[in-house]
Amino acid sequence: MAPRVQTRVSNALLPYLTSTSISSLPSSSSQCLSRQFSVTAASQTKLRRQMFEWLSTDGAELKHHIPGETNYVTRLKDSPMSATRPFPNNPNFVSESVLSEELRNEVYTRVVEEKKSVRAVSMDLGIDMKRIGAVVRLVELEKRQREQGKHLALPYARAIHEMIPTTPLAPPGERQTYHEPINDLPAHPLTGAQIFYPVSESRPFNRVEAGRVFSSAPALEHHEAAEIGHPSDLAEKIIEDPRAIGWVGKGNNARQILQPADVRIPHPHMVALERDHIAHPNERRAVAERQTKRLERQDAAEQQRRERAQARREKKLQTFTPENSRFEYRIQETVYTKETTGADGRAPWAVGRRYGVPHRDRTRGEVKIPTRVEA
Amino acid sequence: MRNRATTTLSKGKIRQSWSKYNLYNLNQFRSPPTTNRTFFQQKWSAKAVSRAYHGEQVGEGQWKRMFNHRIRSVIPMNTSDLAADDGSLFSSGRGSGLEKEGKPAFQTRPTPYTSMAFAPLERRLDVAIFRALFASSARQARQFVIHGAVTVNGQKMRHPSYLLNPGDLFQVEPDRVLFATGTPKTKLERREGRLAQRKEPEAEEEAAKAEEVEEEPTESPKESPKETLKALLSQAKTIMSTDKGTLPAKRKQELRGFQKAVRRVLSRSASSTVLTDNLEAQFSQLTLLLNAKRSEKKEPEDNKNDKQPSEEDAPPTDAAAEAAASDKLSEAFEQATLGEEVDASELSDEEFDTLKRALTQMRDNPIDNTKPYATPWRPRDYMSAFAFIPRYLEVNQNICAAVYLRHPVARPGSAEVPTPFGESIATPAYGWYLRRRW
Repeated sequence: MAPRVQTRVSNALLPYLTSTSISSLPSSSSQCLSRQFSVTAASQTKLRRQMFEWLSTDGAELKHHIPGETNYVTRLKDSPMSATRPFPNNPNFVSESVLSEELRNEVYTRVVEEKKSVRAVSMDLGIDMKRIGAVVRLVELEKRQREQGKHLALPYARAIHEMIPTTPLAPPGERQTYHEPINDLPAHPLTGAQIFYPVSESRPFNRVEAGRVFSSAPALEHHEAAEIGHPSDLAEKIIEDPRAIGWVGKGNNARQILQPADVRIPHPHMVALERDHIAHPNERRAVAERQTKRLERQDAAEQQRRERAQARREKKLQTFTPENSRFEYRIQETVYTKETTGADGRAPWAVGRRYGVPHRDRTRGEVKIPTRVEA
Repeated sequence: MRNRATTTLSKGKIRQSWSKYNLYNLNQFRSPPTTNRTFFQQKWSAKAVSRAYHGEQVGEGQWKRMFNHRIRSVIPMNTSDLAADDGSLFSSGRGSGLEKEGKPAFQTRPTPYTSMAFAPLERRLDVAIFRALFASSARQARQFVIHGAVTVNGQKMRHPSYLLNPGDLFQVEPDRVLFATGTPKTKLERREGRLAQRKEPEAEEEAAKAEEVEEEPTESPKESPKETLKALLSQAKTIMSTDKGTLPAKRKQELRGFQKAVRRVLSRSASSTVLTDNLEAQFSQLTLLLNAKRSEKKEPEDNKNDKQPSEEDAPPTDAAAEAAASDKLSEAFEQATLGEEVDASELSDEEFDTLKRALTQMRDNPIDNTKPYATPWRPRDYMSAFAFIPRYLEVNQNICAAVYLRHPVARPGSAEVPTPFGESIATPAYGWYLRRRW
């Protein structure tokens, strides 16, 4: 690119030009002067020159992508992790692989066509359960759009999949490489505290007890502690009856006791299976049978709980749709107490129109950006 | 809102953008010096540098309200470790496991919490669109939202500052995405696009006439397996007539050549069956592969079929494999145009596969100068240097839709918020926004 022509006369020249106004100067002479003395213009073009030089030498490698490989700036630095680190200064950010088209379709066929449970597919393919839900949703949407003959961005999709790392679908008969860790334990805010908690050496201190300490619950009685052989026993109990989790505190401060990691991970039954394997290393079939039974039991319990919750919600919610109306009115019992309407009955969270209180749309500083969109 | 997000070389700020200036700045970037500077100065410059990248379109006050000192993190658990120990091994000794040969028994990599300081901004719709690689900069993503090209859960969303909730599905119009990520048009292509738009009504009339006239000769071949070839021919004709204004003279010539070739093949196939079988097999397999509506989608493919032999410039998107495929393709069609027998039998299965793939790719990527990007579509320069998709998004590029799965998290050794800055900038910047500042 050509260097920019400096038309503005630099300040350094002004003392010499006081006799005549700048604009009245003949253009040729002013250009000549600026070319002689201007310092800023030179530095500006120098940077640009350097940039275009870099783009034509080192940077030229980055101009076009190499199919099947990443092409990040770190490549120029010859660092060993250059294939996955897009930012040269930040080794903590990794460009992680995405699902390949085939793997995505495989997830869809397993969940929708073969009617396998999301949990089972997640364990087989090593994909997070949330991601499986999203993939099914997206593939369904794609199919619908293809049917409708909508314009798709196919060349773009192909180019992107060539540029970024992807997890391929394993050929039939081979074991699928895991896409991501599926048993992520979210760090609970309670565990951030550093607690000094003396325990007698004669007593083992396990994850169940650590959770109780973090949530400042009293230690388990000896006979209670003896009942729990391993924290994963607790998992099964809690999946079947979530009300088995104890509480600490009163009123608004009541909190559930922090459960051990064996309960809080997305696939707690995998721990149980592993324990079974350790206990009975030579009974593979029996272990597998027990595992399927366990999963069935847990699925049934979960399903039952979901149905009950749904029924409760429906019972609570009365709806009313007038004829030829596109609206559905939800009718709730109004409770007129200090908590619901405020001390003077005009609290901003109170229901209905209140005399002297402007509508929420009309009040100053009201944020109208939606906080959620119903799916 | 005025765009202050300039990528000047003198300041050397890194932005959420794919421009080559930004790439150069990213390469040249050095952390601000800390020697002889007060802690306040260090934090100030770290904050300034990182805010130029993270949410530069968001006001400082608004960002301060969004900031949260608590950072989400996860620990990937190993189920066999959990099964082997109930936690008592870990808590033995002084509370962190018994030491082995002077080293702690359980070693974990540190979690880069402070790299996650700007995680709340990743929830914004405009930033998420940029992260999903649907726009070439956060500013452009913002424009797409404001111009109504983005839907969230199927509803149009016009607020770039909408904070996505886990499970939200957002979708951008594919044409916008192709425009944002594709190579821009050249002057000539822009001119052709203008001409095409002006001549559109005329062309349609001509198309109608041309179809009427040219129906007849195509009917002459009789055998039913040749249906596909016939369809090809007629579609090539319709392209010829509809895109008369769009296509330059050279391309028109090519199209005519293709038309002739197919006609020759058809007329000769009446006598020799081998040729038709081969070609027929080719195209029927191709159509099977495409499994799309034949009548609608064949056109572009034909368009490209004859493009290939003469010009190699069409698929710069795809390198070696595609080039090889196009060679085979061009050979096949050259043979056809020269009136020789097409030897599809000579091609190995592998070659045939690549050929088929090339054909489908070309069908999906036609020449159309009315589009706002250069056609056939190819990624813009220097795009690959910025191409990554964080794990908290699940993206389907075909329909330009993505799901915001969950909030970004830190885990031992890595943080999910894409930031070009290392620990030496992330930590002081995080410290700056704490209510009780360090």
